[in-house]
Amino acid sequence: MNSLAYAFTIQGGSFWGQFFLNNRLVSGSIIILIYIVFMSVFAFILSGYIKKIYKEEPVWLDPVSGRIVKFFEKIFGESPPKGMKFKEYFSTLLLFNASAAIVTFVFFYFQNLLPFGTGYHQYSISLVFNTVTSFVTNTNLQHYSNPLHLTYFTQTFVITGLMFVSAGTGFAASMAFIRAILSENGTLGNFYHDFLVSIFYLIFPLTLLLTLILLFMGVPQTLSPYLLVHPILGLGYEKLPLGPVATLEAIKNIGTNGGGFYGANAGFPFENPNWISNLTEFIAFTIIPLGSLLSLGRVFDSKGFSNVLFGVVISIFVFTTFMTFFGEYAGIPVLSNIGVMFTGNMIGKETAIGISQSTIFASGAVFTSTGAANSILLAFTPVGILGILGNLILNDPIGGVGTGVLNIFMFVIFTVFISSLMVGKLPEIMSLRIGAKEIKYSTLSLITHPLLVVIPFGITMLLPGVIGVTGNPTPDVVTQIFYEFATAAANNGSEMGGFLTNQPYFNYLDGIIMLLGRYLLMAFQLLIAQSFSSKSPKVQFGRSIDPGSFLFGLMLFVTIVVLGVLSFFPILALGPFLSWARDFGLVLRWFH
Amino acid sequence: MNRYLEILLESLKGFDPRYLYRNPVMFVTEFALILSIIVTIFPSAFDLSVSFSYKQFYEAVVVLLFLTILFSNISSAISEGKSRTITNSLRKLQKETTARLLSGTEITEVPSSKLKRGDIVLVKSGDTIPIDGEIIEGSGYVNESSMTGESRPSRKILGDSVTGSTTLVTDEIKVKVTNNPGETFLDKMISIVENAKRERTPNEIALSVFLSGITLVFLIITAALFTLSRYVGVTPDIMILIVLLIALIPTTIGGLLPAIGVAAVNKISEYNVIAKSGKSVENAGDIDTIILDKTGTVTMGEREAVKFYPNRGVDYNEFVTTCSMISLQDQTKEGMSIVKLAQRDNINLTLNDVAGYEFVPFSAETKFSGLVRGGDEILKGAFRALENKFNISDKYVEGLCKEISIRGGTALTVVKNGEFSGVIELNDLLKPGIKQRLEGLKKMNIKTIMCTGDDETTAAFIARESGIDEYVANVTPIDKYNVVIKEKEQQRMVAMVGDGTNDAPALAKADVGMAMNSGTPAAKEAANMVDLDNDPTKLMDVIFLGKQILITRGALTTFSIANDIAKYFVIIPAMFTVFSQLNYLNILGLQNPVVAITSALIFNTFILLALVPMALKGVRYRPSSISDLLKRNVMIYGLGGVLLPFIMIKIIYSAMIATGVVW
Repeated sequence: MNSLAYAFTIQGGSFWGQFFLNNRLVSGSIIILIYIVFMSVFAFILSGYIKKIYKEEPVWLDPVSGRIVKFFEKIFGESPPKGMKFKEYFSTLLLFNASAAIVTFVFFYFQNLLPFGTGYHQYSISLVFNTVTSFVTNTNLQHYSNPLHLTYFTQTFVITGLMFVSAGTGFAASMAFIRAILSENGTLGNFYHDFLVSIFYLIFPLTLLLTLILLFMGVPQTLSPYLLVHPILGLGYEKLPLGPVATLEAIKNIGTNGGGFYGANAGFPFENPNWISNLTEFIAFTIIPLGSLLSLGRVFDSKGFSNVLFGVVISIFVFTTFMTFFGEYAGIPVLSNIGVMFTGNMIGKETAIGISQSTIFASGAVFTSTGAANSILLAFTPVGILGILGNLILNDPIGGVGTGVLNIFMFVIFTVFISSLMVGKLPEIMSLRIGAKEIKYSTLSLITHPLLVVIPFGITMLLPGVIGVTGNPTPDVVTQIFYEFATAAANNGSEMGGFLTNQPYFNYLDGIIMLLGRYLLMAFQLLIAQSFSSKSPKVQFGRSIDPGSFLFGLMLFVTIVVLGVLSFFPILALGPFLSWARDFGLVLRWFH
Repeated sequence: MNRYLEILLESLKGFDPRYLYRNPVMFVTEFALILSIIVTIFPSAFDLSVSFSYKQFYEAVVVLLFLTILFSNISSAISEGKSRTITNSLRKLQKETTARLLSGTEITEVPSSKLKRGDIVLVKSGDTIPIDGEIIEGSGYVNESSMTGESRPSRKILGDSVTGSTTLVTDEIKVKVTNNPGETFLDKMISIVENAKRERTPNEIALSVFLSGITLVFLIITAALFTLSRYVGVTPDIMILIVLLIALIPTTIGGLLPAIGVAAVNKISEYNVIAKSGKSVENAGDIDTIILDKTGTVTMGEREAVKFYPNRGVDYNEFVTTCSMISLQDQTKEGMSIVKLAQRDNINLTLNDVAGYEFVPFSAETKFSGLVRGGDEILKGAFRALENKFNISDKYVEGLCKEISIRGGTALTVVKNGEFSGVIELNDLLKPGIKQRLEGLKKMNIKTIMCTGDDETTAAFIARESGIDEYVANVTPIDKYNVVIKEKEQQRMVAMVGDGTNDAPALAKADVGMAMNSGTPAAKEAANMVDLDNDPTKLMDVIFLGKQILITRGALTTFSIANDIAKYFVIIPAMFTVFSQLNYLNILGLQNPVVAITSALIFNTFILLALVPMALKGVRYRPSSISDLLKRNVMIYGLGGVLLPFIMIKIIYSAMIATGVVW
């Protein structure tokens, strides 16, 4: 320990207090584990309720939500809701999303003419396209600079509105998928019904609850104009933006959207005032994705299946989170060696939150498709960013609201396929035969994500002009460009930046990637559902590979990781691997 | 020598892209080959080094890519060559003969190819039976050695089916033609073997879709690597990218996939089983329940009379005479053995002794046979059947029957003048080796159900002795159907064997139904495979084979994809030696990048060749439970697939360096 570091060791207090304060690796790890335990417990509590929604069993919200759903169904002319096959279901879904997108596009583009608008609020058409696609696809990639350029009206109606629409759509798709497996009438259900149920039974109540909690924690919810404050140091005034933050913040997390009110996202104190709100928001954005995965075991009467899914995703999460944490804890050797960075890499992190809580928050945001951030990813160490990218290249292991269920099933189908072959059985899941058709759509959905990342990445590499980095290209730039497309294709929305993202090229390209990553993938996955929907029998029976066994879990884990890594290894090698080697001075070293 | 030349020629023909486009993995490989040839000839056009050592490397890549495709083609050429041998030998059987066509009483001689379904032909002793048909009159011994290899002629009676190209060795029969020429079993068998290449099973299609998807991803990532390396300031060597692409795409499984399917169909033909489609063989691998007949499958089926037990107050000799009388015209094996046993007691009867009686043959519904003269009936059959028919009971006879049953024998009771006159003990032996096979099925988690017309006690005894899980005693054909339905309701995949017309509905309902060639046309029509040797235990071989095909495919796929990890670790550091810091990825420590890349490609090429025998023979498969099998195969092909290339590439690299290759 050098003398500078010694000066920072904390003396006095109880033994354990000293121990934890001085051994940050231990205390940080414990904090991360506490977050994971909280996440798991809350997801488990909600999973019972989600199971009831999936199986359309009565719940205690029926008297209120049931009436609202019926009321809106009447308005849509879908009462009683009639079953839709894939084509109708998906086109309804698409049409509904498209109308929401178009209306919000108009609102957004003309926000200077709408309430609270001034000439200051005018955006380029490419940026509006990017923003609207970003929010309607649950991505929430923000190429605009927040929040000064958005009016309260836009924040509330465009942003918050689309946040509800995208989350509800995602959950509706998962309802259709599960219904298709359970039923055998050949239909996926009714989109309007599913959407309304998602909103009024699940997303809206949770959002309301979270809004109240956040309000108590001090998150503002006001329409009053920005505060002008006088900084303690310096001259003049600074604008302190306020606004209807709490509602947006609540749906941002509950709906795994992630696009914050402020540019600094959850790193800004008005969005995330303290460590309790940090934990609360972390739980809020993991509760539905993890809860719906955990509910699958109950839905299909196979406790083992829940355990397998939980085990697999948590293993991925623990691995990537600790990778990031260790990376950040270790910091950058050049700086730590001269004693500047002995606390780890605090660059771009909120001091009130610290390394471990920033890590787990960032990691959770890519573990789900939230993409919220309480720190600046650009300042992460290469290993730290590798842990984050590890989640992104797996298309967000537990996905967003609803989409996680669809994604995990894609991998489950593959694992069942390969492992069934290896034991000489014809593949089937939940007693549903997996034939050429299901594999076809699963393959298509499996390759959609890598192709959506790698193709634009490869093209962009040909255009150094748009990247706009002068001098020798560093591996960090490779990582940044890769991150940009990975986050768009995974509909995640967390941003690394590092280059000018708000330019027509990236605005349009990202927009298209986000649209394809959302709807093309969903179409393939719902096509799998469609071909399952007319198949019977539909009960769990131990005649084939047991998806609840440990061995299957291991296979699933390996399949997910190997397929993910194989698709991206060369880019990872020239990006984060290379920067890591550079930072740690791993020069030509032979092992023999 | 000729054969090898033929295989080689056939393999070269396989380079035609018109054949290859069906196999995307090999198609991409061929595309890479063409590209690499162009690069080798005009390296300067691609900004590539033209130094002598690099030229050598380029030429090596061209040769290795060529070999990759060649090895893949050889594997299919071998399996197709084999199927051609099979079809040729089958075709030889299909000789044109002259048939005696009966129209009314008139006999016209027509070539066998002119016969139509429904025609009636007369076959005389020594004739070759012209076409598949059903005996409608007469009986005789037929030599089926041309089809089955069994040289002992078998007896065919009324209602039995006969196969074209077999020879009638005794008597004279009238045969009703059941199949038009071109639709006979031989034709079907030939066309199935021939179509094995063209017709892919749903499972095979699913796998190749998956492989195509993966190939596409690797194609794109390689292309992206091209632009990426240009961006970071490394001039990409297009040849190295080609090698990377070929190393990554699943050439091992992609190259061997067509051969695996064809090999399976060849194998089943070698078993003398006609499967109506490749799909039914794969389905057989997925069976959960197998319904077996006791007689002929579990036991020898040649039930022999071993002892006569006269009822109290019945004279022994008189009883034996009665037994012999009712069995004289009984052509079943039991009947003949009763007459034989009676002869040992010096009771020799001729047909004159039963003049005036009418013979009632055995049927599965009545379960008895015997003689009738007026109201006078002498019948033999199962105790329960006769007890119910005559509404009589006899505690002594019942006791005798029970005693025999407990020993595993079958009791045949005889009723004369409305009273039980005694019991004949029939003995039935377990087939040799059946216990081990049933044990194998149990390990594979396959439930066995035995159906038997015998009573509860015998059935229980045999089931216990042989290790059968469940049995259904006192079975009538409709019961068999019900058993199939019951199992299917529990979502199990059911396989069964049958031969009678009564079995047809059950055969049709079962997922895998195997009919005996000696069975009735209806049964053969309903089944999805027909065994020419009439050996019901062969169903188990087919189940094994079905599993083996699937396992071979799964194992090779896993192996192929697992290999990629090592190849990345060899090729990526070798490609970017410019970034010396990236060398920590070079965990094998291969100093010479070009030799390292060549080693990876050499491994990739020759592992394909090394696995050809496995693709053709199928992976070794021992019956075991699903989880054990999965554990074992994941260890061998998954973990092995990750580690083996690391070891092999290191060895190949060292060998190349040792022999002084300096590129």
